[in-house]
Amino acid sequence: MSVHVENGVGILTDTTKCIGCRECVAACKRRNHLEADVPRRWSLDDGLSARNWTSIVEKELPNGDPAFIRKQCRHCDEPACASVCPVGALRKDPETGAVVYDGDKCMGCRYCMMACPYGVPRYDWDQSVPYVRKCILCNDHLKAGEKPACTNACPTGATIFGTREELLKVAHKRLEKYPNRYIQHVWGEHEIGGTSVLYISDTDLSFLSYGSKLSDETLPARTKTAMGAVPPVFVGMAGTMTGVYWIIKRRMKNQQHKDVSANHHPEGKSNG
Amino acid sequence: MADIRLDRARVLKSILWAITGLALAVAITRFTFGLGATTNLSDGVPWGFWIGFDVMSGVALAAGGFVLTAVVYIFQLKEFYPIVRPAVLTAFLGYIAVVLGLMVDLGLPWNIWHMIVFWNPHSPLFEVGWCVMLYLSVLTLEFLPVPLEGQSRWKKIHDTLTKFRIPLVIAGISLSTLHQSSLGTLFTIMPYRVHPLWYSPILPIMFFISAMALGLFMITFEGHTTSWIYRRHSHRDMLAKLNRATPWIILAYLGVRFGDLIVRGQIHHAFSTDWRAIAFWVEIGLLAIPGMLTTVKAVRRKDGALWLVAFLGVLGVVVNRINTGGVMHTGRGIEAYLPSWTEFAISFGVVSVAALVFLWLVEHFHILESTPHDAEEDPKTKPMFDNLTRTWLGTPSFADRTRFSLSFVLAVGLGFMLLSGESVRSKGVEPTPAYAARGGDTLWVDGNRDAFGVPFTHAVHAEMAEDMYNGCVTCHHMNMPGDRNTECSSCHQDMYSATDAFRHSWHSDPNGANLSCGQCHPRGEIRQASTAIKCVECHHDLIPEQVEGGAPSFEHPVNQYMAPSYADALHGICLDCHHQIADEWGIEDFQQCGFCHHEHRTLADVGPDEYPTSGKVIVPNTSGDSWE
Repeated sequence: MSVHVENGVGILTDTTKCIGCRECVAACKRRNHLEADVPRRWSLDDGLSARNWTSIVEKELPNGDPAFIRKQCRHCDEPACASVCPVGALRKDPETGAVVYDGDKCMGCRYCMMACPYGVPRYDWDQSVPYVRKCILCNDHLKAGEKPACTNACPTGATIFGTREELLKVAHKRLEKYPNRYIQHVWGEHEIGGTSVLYISDTDLSFLSYGSKLSDETLPARTKTAMGAVPPVFVGMAGTMTGVYWIIKRRMKNQQHKDVSANHHPEGKSNG
Repeated sequence: MADIRLDRARVLKSILWAITGLALAVAITRFTFGLGATTNLSDGVPWGFWIGFDVMSGVALAAGGFVLTAVVYIFQLKEFYPIVRPAVLTAFLGYIAVVLGLMVDLGLPWNIWHMIVFWNPHSPLFEVGWCVMLYLSVLTLEFLPVPLEGQSRWKKIHDTLTKFRIPLVIAGISLSTLHQSSLGTLFTIMPYRVHPLWYSPILPIMFFISAMALGLFMITFEGHTTSWIYRRHSHRDMLAKLNRATPWIILAYLGVRFGDLIVRGQIHHAFSTDWRAIAFWVEIGLLAIPGMLTTVKAVRRKDGALWLVAFLGVLGVVVNRINTGGVMHTGRGIEAYLPSWTEFAISFGVVSVAALVFLWLVEHFHILESTPHDAEEDPKTKPMFDNLTRTWLGTPSFADRTRFSLSFVLAVGLGFMLLSGESVRSKGVEPTPAYAARGGDTLWVDGNRDAFGVPFTHAVHAEMAEDMYNGCVTCHHMNMPGDRNTECSSCHQDMYSATDAFRHSWHSDPNGANLSCGQCHPRGEIRQASTAIKCVECHHDLIPEQVEGGAPSFEHPVNQYMAPSYADALHGICLDCHHQIADEWGIEDFQQCGFCHHEHRTLADVGPDEYPTSGKVIVPNTSGDSWE
C-alpha cells in the first residue's frame, strides 16, 4: 500500500494555541452530516466515535493549566489500516494523501481498527448495517479546492492546513523560535514512517498511540516479510511433499520388489 | 459392531440442539439490532471471542486434517488409515464452523465475496481468506468420495476424485501451512497493541508449529470421544503410536517461543507480578504438561488418561489463540474485555452445529470402520403404545426427533427471553435518570446531576415568552392531568434515551383509571398502540389550551408518545427560539453552544450578580450549596 504522495496535504495542530472551544468538532459534524452523539457503552473516553471524527482531549500540564489536544485520523504515509484491509476499502488517495474509506467495498472485518496504532477508526456498533467511521480529511472538498472544515473553523489558528512540506517548515520554525515553549519534537514527522497530520506541543503526545512510543519503522513493513514468503512457502511445501511422496513410494516399491524376488526368481526389472 | 449403542449420542444430541437453539435466538437478535446489542465488543476491542475462538481456534482445531493426510498419504504410514476419515471430516466441519462464525462476526457478511473481486494482496487477512476458500474446496473434494462411496450413480465422480487424491492432499497441506501461519501474521502488524509476551515477528512460525501439535491432540481427542459416545472399541494402539511425535513438536514450539522471547529481550515480562505473566505460564503449562505426559508410555496406552492429556493440549492452543487474538492486547485504551453470554452462545452454537453434522454423517456414512446402528431405532421395530398414558409414542426414531425439536425450540424461547428488550434496544446508551431542575427564578439545569449544568434564567425567559411567543406553553407544552407546570423530567425520564411516557398498566389497573379495553381500543380494530384513540380525547388538561388543536404535533397516536431524551427535549425547546433570535437580531453568539454551556461550570461557579433576575437569585432546594 505504499503510495508515495508528492505534495500531499496535511494538518498541523499546535496544542499550545488550542483553547478547547471545539469549533472544529462542530464544523466537522456539520460538514460530514454526523448526528449528535451520546455516551455509549462501547465508546472510549477520548471522545472519538462513529459520529465524532475529531475530538478534543484534555490533559493537565505540570503547572496545573489545561492542555487541549485535538484527536483525529493521522493519515499515515504508510497506513496500517489500508495495508491490512482485505478488500482495499481503505486507501491513501495518491493525489491528496488523505486516507479514505469506501463503504461499498467494506465487509466489516474491523482489521483496520485492530491495526491502527492510534486507535482512530470507530464502528457503527448500534447499526444493523454498520460501517467503519473516521476522519477522511474532507477529501472530496480538498479535491474541489476547499480546506478541511476543522481548520477553517479554528478561531486561534491552532490547527492549520497546508502541504505537508510547508507545515513541517512552519513547525520547525516555531520550535526554533520558542525553544522553551515547545517540546522539541514534531509528532508525525517520522513515527511509523510519517503522518500527514502533525503536532507540536508543550506536553508529551505519545498517549495518542495508547501510551507506546512509536518507532520510525512503518507498520506494513512488519507483515511484508511474512507476506513475501507466501508464494515460496507454498511452492516449497508442495514440492517437498511431492518429493517425499515419490521417494517413499519408490522405496516401498523396491522393497516389495525385493520381497517378491526373494521369494521367486530374480527376473523383475528394477525401474528408475 | 454389536456393542455400539446410541444412548450417549442421544443425550449429547439433545444438548447440542439446545445450544444451537440458543445461538439461533442470539443470531436473529444480532442481525436485527447490530453487534453492539449482542456483544461486549467496543471501539477498543473490535475483535473479541468470536475471532479468537471461532476463527483462530477453529482453523487451528482443523489442523488434524492436514497432519493426518500427510502422515497417511505422503509418508504412507498406512496403519493410520482407519482414523484418516474422521480427521478429514473434523477439518472440513471445522472450516465450515469458521465460515459460520465469521458470518456472524463480520459487520457486513453479505459482502464477504468482495474478497474475490477487490484484491489487496498486502493484507494478511486477504491471504487467510483465500486460503480458507481454497482449502475448504480442497477438503470438500477430499471428503466427497466418502458419501459417494458405493453409489453406482456417482461412481465416475467418486473414481475421478480418488484418482486425484494425492494432488489434493498435497494442495491441502500447502494451503494449511500457509494459512495456519498467516493467522499469526495477522498480528505482526500490531506491535504496539499485543502484549510483548505474545507479540513476535515470527508469530507465523509459532502458529504453524503449535497447529501441528494441536492437530495430533485433536485427532486423539476426537477419536477417543467418538469411541466413548458410541461405546465402541478405541483405536488405542494407533493413537498411542501417533502421539509419540507430540512431545517433539511441543518441544520445538517451546524452544522457538522462549528462544524468541530471550533474543528479543522480553523474557523479563514472564517474571513480573502482572496477571498477564501468570496467564502466560498457565498457557505454557497447558502445552508443556501434555507434552511431557505423552512421553510416558503408560499414559499413551490408557484411553482416559490420553483423552485428558489431549483435552489439555487442545485447551492450551485454544487459550494461546484467544490470548493472542484479543485478551492480551494492552495498547487499546481499555483495560479488560469479558465476552458477553451471547458471544459464548454463538461460538458454542457454531460448534454444536458442526458436531451435529459430524454425528449425523458418522451415523449415515462410512466414516468410522462401521456405521453406528441402533437396533431399537430400526424402522422395522414395532411402534410403542404407552398403556398408562394411552399415548402413541411412535417409533423410537420419531421420539428422538421429538426430543431434539423440543430442546431446540425451548432453547430458542429461552434465548429470546434472556435477551432482555431494554438492553438490546438501548443502543449502548446506559440509562441515566434525569432529575428536575432546581431553583427559583433562575433554574439550575443539571439533568444527570453530574454537577456540571446550565443556569437558566426562568424569569427572563417567561417574560420573553409572554411578549414574543405563546406564553408558558411555549415550553410547558404538556402537563400531567390537573397540573400546570409539570417538571420536564417526569416525562423525559432519561438523559440520553427516549422513554415511553404512557403507562398502560396504570390505565387498566383497578386502582388506577380502571378503564375497559374498549374505551381506548375501538371495536373491530386490532388492539395495539397505533390504533388506540389519542390521549387528548380524554385528557383535555394534558395539553394547555393555547396549544390544543392548534399544533398538529400533539395529535399523535399513543405509540408516538415516546418522550425524547431529557437532553434532546431541552435542546429542542431552547434551540428553536435561539436560532430564530440569532437570525432576526443578527446575534450569532446566541445559537452557539458556549452561550449556555460554559466549560466545567458547577452551581458554585454561578454567582448571583452574574445572572441578575428581577432581584431574585437561585435558591436551590437542597441544603449545602445554596445562598440567598
